[in-house]
Amino acid sequence: MEEMLAIFIASTLRLAMPLMLAASGELVSERAGVLNLSLEGMMLTAAFFGALGSWASGNPYLGVACAILASVVVSAVQAWLSVNLRANQLVVGIGFNILALGATTLLYRIIFGGLSREEIPGLPKLAVKGLSDLPFAGTAFFQQSVIVYVGLALIVLIWAMLNHTSFGLSVRAVGDEPRSADKAGIPVAATRWKAVLITGFMAGFAGAFISIADIHTFTENMTNGAGYLALAAVIFGGWNIGRTVAACLLFGAATALQFQLPAMGINVPTAFLLMLPYLLALLAVAGVVGRLEPPTSLTLPFQRGK
Amino acid sequence: MTALAFSLPDRRRLLGMAVPFIAVIGSMIVGLLLIAASGKDVPDAIEAFMDGAFGSAFAIGASINRAVALSLVGLGFILAFRANLTNVGGEGQIAVGGIAATALGLWPPIANLPLGLAVIVPLLGGTLAGAFWGGIAGFMKVRFGTNEVISTLLLGFVALLLVYWCVQSTALLRQPQTSSATLPESLPIADAVKLPGLTGNSESPLHIGLVICLLLAIATAIVLQRSTFGLRLRAIGLNELAVRRAGMPGGILLVVALAIAGAFGGLAGAIMLQGEQYYLKTGFSSGYGFDGLVVGLLSRGSTVGVLAGALFFGFLRSGGISMEIMAQVPAALTLVIQGLIVIAVAGSVILVEKLQGGR
Repeated sequence: MEEMLAIFIASTLRLAMPLMLAASGELVSERAGVLNLSLEGMMLTAAFFGALGSWASGNPYLGVACAILASVVVSAVQAWLSVNLRANQLVVGIGFNILALGATTLLYRIIFGGLSREEIPGLPKLAVKGLSDLPFAGTAFFQQSVIVYVGLALIVLIWAMLNHTSFGLSVRAVGDEPRSADKAGIPVAATRWKAVLITGFMAGFAGAFISIADIHTFTENMTNGAGYLALAAVIFGGWNIGRTVAACLLFGAATALQFQLPAMGINVPTAFLLMLPYLLALLAVAGVVGRLEPPTSLTLPFQRGK
Repeated sequence: MTALAFSLPDRRRLLGMAVPFIAVIGSMIVGLLLIAASGKDVPDAIEAFMDGAFGSAFAIGASINRAVALSLVGLGFILAFRANLTNVGGEGQIAVGGIAATALGLWPPIANLPLGLAVIVPLLGGTLAGAFWGGIAGFMKVRFGTNEVISTLLLGFVALLLVYWCVQSTALLRQPQTSSATLPESLPIADAVKLPGLTGNSESPLHIGLVICLLLAIATAIVLQRSTFGLRLRAIGLNELAVRRAGMPGGILLVVALAIAGAFGGLAGAIMLQGEQYYLKTGFSSGYGFDGLVVGLLSRGSTVGVLAGALFFGFLRSGGISMEIMAQVPAALTLVIQGLIVIAVAGSVILVEKLQGGR
């Protein structure tokens, strides 16, 4: 029983990790007023180019770098479209997701074609010295892929940046009151650009986690809605980083349960567990778990003098 | 209908239409370049594409059936969009429509109804299910102030998982499990529930969904341009507060608008099920909801635009599938083309406004 619980915690962490990375990145951008429905596409692009980079170079760390680079490029185009061209952020996001699914599938077939499902060089699991052998906590927390520890550090960094730096203050200002922020001398466009690039960086990390650290290969549409789940986590977390991370863990736990419960002889429909995150997010946006305050200018482009 | 849609044949309108046109051509060229870059034979691929899209009665019928589903979602989208509501939940509305149509179609008392009611009742059931699904988002918007983009998106995922649930559980719609090899699918619906063919040619899958779709397109054009309801939708889209102050029931209007959008999606789902697929399985909606949304967006609110866009995407899908089978060019190429079109059109809005000399 205890061992099962330890495995459950470990798989919750593993499943929640890409969500936490992507959601905390997306949070920055949404606090700045830009909604990236393209999060799913960024993650998928990153997962593909991460796998490609790792496979071509034989070095998983180079793979991670490729993943992040690819995702940042996507986010730069997203930023240009939503900030400079003031395009409808939802439409652009949907377009990117269609494009990412098509392009990664196409490239995968062309490049990997016959060698499909080939294993790529993955990241090692890092057993934390002295801690990984602990009877319970060892299995639960300290035998994770190296990227998990880096990712957790990045999330703490984002928390600190949002809440304790002047850049974080600017981000929140341009997301809530871009007009006042502009008058106060905060560069709205530049701040939003940076925020979207941070989203791209984190989504790249999340995608790399999925293909390089977790699955060790690329499969078509391998993110399979994780980006949307991360968006739901931001909503369920009420645009607050602590609660967003907690939401990701909850969603990860719900997904992990579908493997655990049958093993324990408990019969809950898998579909219900998979549905749970979306139902919770729906309840959250309906205000059931307390009034949510989305950033006031979320999805609204800013133009000086209008 | 043409007269209605082209009642303003001015320069602005032409420019508005030129952008999607240029985007389509540009994206197709990128597609051709990609085929060439992947080392496949371009003329071969084009031939396979044409063959799959227009090559036979079967191909044309299948493409038009696809276009019917896309048009319906697109029409629902532009109706709600008139009230400034963005319905992102087409995929889920198709899914619940398909579930309702399957459930009703597999129920013997309904499958045995006379006078074509065996076809009509599941169609209406699917429509109502979609309306309910869209209506939830409308209700949440009015009651809790929930942004409909977020709620329709989330409801979409719930609906997709509902399909999964229905076909996984024999207590719901899964066919009786006779062996471990029984697929997680519903039983096929009876012939009496299937949509009648339109051409009498057994080769052509074209069904009466086309007639339903065209009638609804005409109705949509009239509602949008000639009715008080259409005017009210526009009014609430422009200024919700003013509409409420003027004493119009703004809240109900929003719920109705999203319910109608959902109803179109639900009907599309029922038509897809009763017209071609005949049984429910996971992934049944296969992206038609998102494609329909794209069609609605590209049309810039015009009914004719929806039909044209849906036809284009319908033929694109059919041709893409054939290209994969006959010329080994992955059908994912059509997704690349679609994605590029959407992004290009969305990005050019400001450019168009400038060219039109507007705001």
